[in-house]
Amino acid sequence: MSTPMIVSPIVSTGFVKCRVRVYFGPVNRATEMPTLFDASLANGFQTNAPLSPWIDLGWIDNFQRKSSAKITGVSSGAPSIAQYQVRQTAGATVSFAFQQWTKLTMALAGGSEHMNVLVPAAGGAASGSGGIAGVAQTILFTGTTATSATMLNLSSTDLAKYSAGTLIAVDADYLGQVGFVGAAVSAAYIKSALSVNSDPDYVRRVTFNVARVEQVTAQGLQLAQPLIAGTPAVGMKVQPILGFVDREGGAFIQEWSALFVMSGEQGDAVFFHYPRLQAMEGPAEESTVLQEPMERLMLSAAFRALPIIDATDSQQVFCFRTYVPAPATTV
Amino acid sequence: MENARNTFYLALRNQLAVVNPLRVLLLRGVERPGIMVEENESAVAFAIPNVFVLRWTKLSIDTQHALPLVAQVCEILYWTEGTSANGGLDRGRLLSAMDADLSQILVPRNALKQNFIVTPPAAMATRLFWNGAAFDGVVTTKNRISRMASVTVYSYEEAVEL
Repeated sequence: MSTPMIVSPIVSTGFVKCRVRVYFGPVNRATEMPTLFDASLANGFQTNAPLSPWIDLGWIDNFQRKSSAKITGVSSGAPSIAQYQVRQTAGATVSFAFQQWTKLTMALAGGSEHMNVLVPAAGGAASGSGGIAGVAQTILFTGTTATSATMLNLSSTDLAKYSAGTLIAVDADYLGQVGFVGAAVSAAYIKSALSVNSDPDYVRRVTFNVARVEQVTAQGLQLAQPLIAGTPAVGMKVQPILGFVDREGGAFIQEWSALFVMSGEQGDAVFFHYPRLQAMEGPAEESTVLQEPMERLMLSAAFRALPIIDATDSQQVFCFRTYVPAPATTV
Repeated sequence: MENARNTFYLALRNQLAVVNPLRVLLLRGVERPGIMVEENESAVAFAIPNVFVLRWTKLSIDTQHALPLVAQVCEILYWTEGTSANGGLDRGRLLSAMDADLSQILVPRNALKQNFIVTPPAAMATRLFWNGAAFDGVVTTKNRISRMASVTVYSYEEAVEL
């Protein structure tokens, strides 16, 4: 006969945490579809191995979130006495500093179009966000190892243009379309072909579908990290890039789904999920002194939350806060 | 952490060979640049003059980042009693020359980390970096003058080291 398990809970000890980690989910701007975090799957969320499709953006500093909701009383009578309460305004903002400098963190913090600095063609004119690029290489879908999110097959001639460590951008040629562009993440909005000079490389110039080449094999490029858009679609091309550039200015506003995770010291966890965040400031940095004169420079970021309709009860919601209690505590 | 210490030592040693190839020491029958790591050598009853001795002291690890950031304090000790040809009256000038050598060998202030666990040593992914030297005052003991300078060396602990 087995002994029944008995849990003798203690009172909640409060929430003690050290730091905050943030995860990115794309918003499909054309369909206005954010990435949703399902709290029912939160139990067991591993900060080092986040649930798909969340992408780790690393630890952040100075996390602050504010509600701009105002609840006001409705008064009547003489003397005027509050009889009811109504929500006058609703809104929320979030601010923090990204510790890591990556394509995603720069783009999100900067808020506007975020350019990949394409390796230029020889003799091109100078341009602030990168001049005319060299020719992109066609991805092949033949070979013993299939092209995938971490493997790009190229012809042997094209492979010779790459080496281990090269940064690359992968996306489709620009073909004159208008609207949102970018694989997996809406990276920019094109108003007209003229506005982007009908640049065939424009989509690769802004795409979030970037990676670093870990190894050049006989067949293709082995990537050190999976492409955010997964296995490339037919017609996508690859192009080497040198780095990233963002701008003070620009008309586009990035939007993303955010998940902030605080892991408690007692095994509990708090999740803040903002389905839609848009930058409310331009590019900025903040620093902490490591030891004079060395400073650690972080990406300042401030966002305004936009609402979604919660399918559960059709309410407009800016943020979901989920608490998973520590084991063996009263609730 | 050991890779960072060894990389730092080698960076300084290689720079010293360029900055002042005449500053050498003879240790175990081998002539080499005049810099050594105290913990890597046998305990000796006497200190060698006119060379730099690295001594690792404080350690802190900041785990609030994607990779742990390790800060190790390296005390660099050196002393001289001048030359016998000058009756030791040039000891101030020699110490100043060592001050100048030290300032120069600390530049550049970063180096690609090497993995010394494997043979031959392999380049790692991150660079260690350090601040300028903080020089203590001169200490005079009879005819010997000495100084200690401190440098904080920062390095990221990479996955293969954890």
